[in-house]
Amino acid sequence: MVEQAGYFRVPGAHLYTVLHRVEAPVARVLLVGPFASERHNSYIPWVRWARYLAARQIEVLRYDHRGIGESTGIFEQATFSDWSEDLRLLAEWLKDQSPDVPVLFHGLEFGAILAGRLFHQGKGDGLLLWSAPANANQVLRSTLMRWARLEQLLLKGGDERKSAADYIRQLEQGGVVEVEGYEWSSRLWLASFGLELPTGLADMAAATSGPSKPVRIVELGKAAAPLVKGGTPGFDELRDFDWLYSENMNWLSAELASLKGMASDRHS
Amino acid sequence: MIDTANLRQLISLDGNGTTFRGTYHRVPDDRDSSQAEVNVKSSLGIFFLNSLTLPRAATGDSAIYWADSFANCGYPSFRFDLPGLGDTEGELSLDFLDFINSGGFSSIIALKVTELTRRYNLSGVVLVGHCAGAVSAIYAAASSEHCAGLVLMDPYFHLKQAVRPWIREQISTWARRSSLGRFSSKIYDLSGDLWLSAKGNSVPRNANFPLLKSWKQVADAGLPILLLKAPGLKASGVKPRQGEFDYLSYIASLAARKGRVTVTAIEGTDHSFANRVGRLAIRQHTENWLQTHFPQAVSGEPTLNSSHRTEDTTTISEANSMTSIPMHQTGGGN
Repeated sequence: MVEQAGYFRVPGAHLYTVLHRVEAPVARVLLVGPFASERHNSYIPWVRWARYLAARQIEVLRYDHRGIGESTGIFEQATFSDWSEDLRLLAEWLKDQSPDVPVLFHGLEFGAILAGRLFHQGKGDGLLLWSAPANANQVLRSTLMRWARLEQLLLKGGDERKSAADYIRQLEQGGVVEVEGYEWSSRLWLASFGLELPTGLADMAAATSGPSKPVRIVELGKAAAPLVKGGTPGFDELRDFDWLYSENMNWLSAELASLKGMASDRHS
Repeated sequence: MIDTANLRQLISLDGNGTTFRGTYHRVPDDRDSSQAEVNVKSSLGIFFLNSLTLPRAATGDSAIYWADSFANCGYPSFRFDLPGLGDTEGELSLDFLDFINSGGFSSIIALKVTELTRRYNLSGVVLVGHCAGAVSAIYAAASSEHCAGLVLMDPYFHLKQAVRPWIREQISTWARRSSLGRFSSKIYDLSGDLWLSAKGNSVPRNANFPLLKSWKQVADAGLPILLLKAPGLKASGVKPRQGEFDYLSYIASLAARKGRVTVTAIEGTDHSFANRVGRLAIRQHTENWLQTHFPQAVSGEPTLNSSHRTEDTTTISEANSMTSIPMHQTGGGN
């Protein structure tokens, strides 16, 4: 299988993309990854999922948010609007590759919010969400809490030690906090409350009461670390995630068959 | 504004049946060329390795920052994902840490170093590794004729467990949180000191002896080595925590007189070196070390005199709070 890495130009940045190219794909999936440091922690099982899909005739596009990972742009200057707009441009590009092939969005954590919001605007032919939080602040808060705990372990003590509550206060008062190598601004923190998952995607019950496009919402437990927080770095990456991949692939296959059936009905 | 994407090129090394995927950070003077390979004229390259299971960007994308900076100083820089990590395909075994600790990546790294030097007409490469990546770098340097130097961030020379036993974790938590625990911890450290003295400071049984052998080989050969150390828990400078074996002094004693090893302790950061103080310190010390050992045409300026990245907010005075100790001066004793 061909994995084609490149830079996708968007206003103000170049997004790092990897297209897992497939001959005559039955569908395309746009993977929308997690936030900042979570990108690094979840990278191995996320990339393996892309390969898993590609091996099953589904073309995959994955990318790094601007200012994060291999994408260019300055993290401190990026906004939730930028990250949302970047996703929209990528989704359009992917759909344009062959409009007859369905495009599904798959978001993880922060990426689930972005994917859910774009889907809610009518884009995409299906949606898969893993560990979708209600809003972006939940993502930031859980990352900050984990990092503060880790920092308390590593620092020598005295005045240097701060709790997560101290850092939150700092952010609320207009300060900057450096979390796992990324500088979080007060602006980012405050704006994160406003980036919400659409209420129609809060859970499966809400999602199935809406439009007839396929939607699956999965809450991942600690067994899925490091796709979600709570694991041991350097150890969980080596796990076998086949149980997770196969379960979601089964859903995808069933929904794609259904979409294909509906398309045939329309043509006949 | 610098067009960053124009200075970075996504590349792969396809030789020897294994494809390494990575990023090439071009020296700014070459940015107008579409054929970067022919424009780099026999210069020294910088080759970054993954830190354990992290992708090639490293924590907080610090490796990207360093590679951009070194390229700006005239050293073409390359960050690659090792097999099974990041974007490079390959299987990771459940004994991944054992694999690294026994030098499992050394032969493929050495082959890729050769491939890279030929493709880009490099005089050699400096291998840069952090933590487990530093372990792989030492092994690879011992088996590569094209490795001209090493930059090692917080290497470890013992065999450690990926996951601490549950009971040990609980004891550590108690020792940190309660006053009795902290007192007990001090007693534990002191007893460790006494135990070490009683044994005559001999090398612990869980030392990684094959790694120490490779270290001796490269240090004896006079390979320039820069070792950067983050502050350890209950430790200061380059010294270990009380009661722990002093590996840095020991490896200094292993290097022959012609050894060119420099050890620098960096304060105000953590093991990842990813915060602003840490990444700036790594950048400054490495650039100065490169200029000392591998002077070449410089496109940018050494960073102790300038700051060319707009996102840098750490001041020079913060970075100067670090201590730098050339290891050949400290010798093997304490």
